[in-house]
Amino acid sequence: MDILENLAAWTANFRAGWLATAEATGKLDWKRYQRPANAHPVSGKAIDLGKSRLVLISSAGAYLPASQAPFDAANPYGDYTIRRISVCTPISAIAYAHDHYDHAAVDADPDVLMPIRRLDEMVSAGAIGALADDFISFGGYQPALDRVIDETIPAIVREVKVLGADAALLVPA
Amino acid sequence: MLGVATTLTSWNADRTIPIKPPRATYTKLGRGSTIGRPNDLAQQRRVLEATLALLGRDAPLDPVYLDEKA
Repeated sequence: MDILENLAAWTANFRAGWLATAEATGKLDWKRYQRPANAHPVSGKAIDLGKSRLVLISSAGAYLPASQAPFDAANPYGDYTIRRISVCTPISAIAYAHDHYDHAAVDADPDVLMPIRRLDEMVSAGAIGALADDFISFGGYQPALDRVIDETIPAIVREVKVLGADAALLVPA
Repeated sequence: MLGVATTLTSWNADRTIPIKPPRATYTKLGRGSTIGRPNDLAQQRRVLEATLALLGRDAPLDPVYLDEKA
């Protein structure tokens, strides 16, 4: 199952259209950006969440200013790297490098994008077996889907495996 | 995701549904508040519980729309 079924055609369109325009003019012409689509859904087996280890994957651009570089939020071509952050990290130690959403809500209550406290409650109640030790963060502004598929997703999958997760909750910003 | 069951929740059904994720809930919460309104713990729990409940079913699933607003 391909992540994006028509990746080669999508990439050719992206490079000849949106990317070429951006590189030639410095302007981001979203009318030339082809929104991705698949014809066939992904299949997968059910799990018993009460016996599973869940990893949170967030595109809010969270990072640890004291020990990690911020995402390159101002880059018009996007940032395709990821960060791992302990779920035990104090909220005050987390910052957000992402220029494409209003941070007012997440600054007021991080659970709106990174629901660690709500998920912890569900672990305590037995609804979730356990949380992975770390959550995975990236900046969701990533216009080059070929780079998402070649760089970001493999990096996430690698870390999900290291964390021993059986299930993942994806929270786009 | 290579043997890892996935689920997601999105405020942007128009952009997400065409990708055909295996399991997803959709709300009208808005950019930057995907799980719920700030400090509205009840709403956050509803969104999470509905989204995580999908992991208990074989995928693919039809889109699940939640009546949750900003």
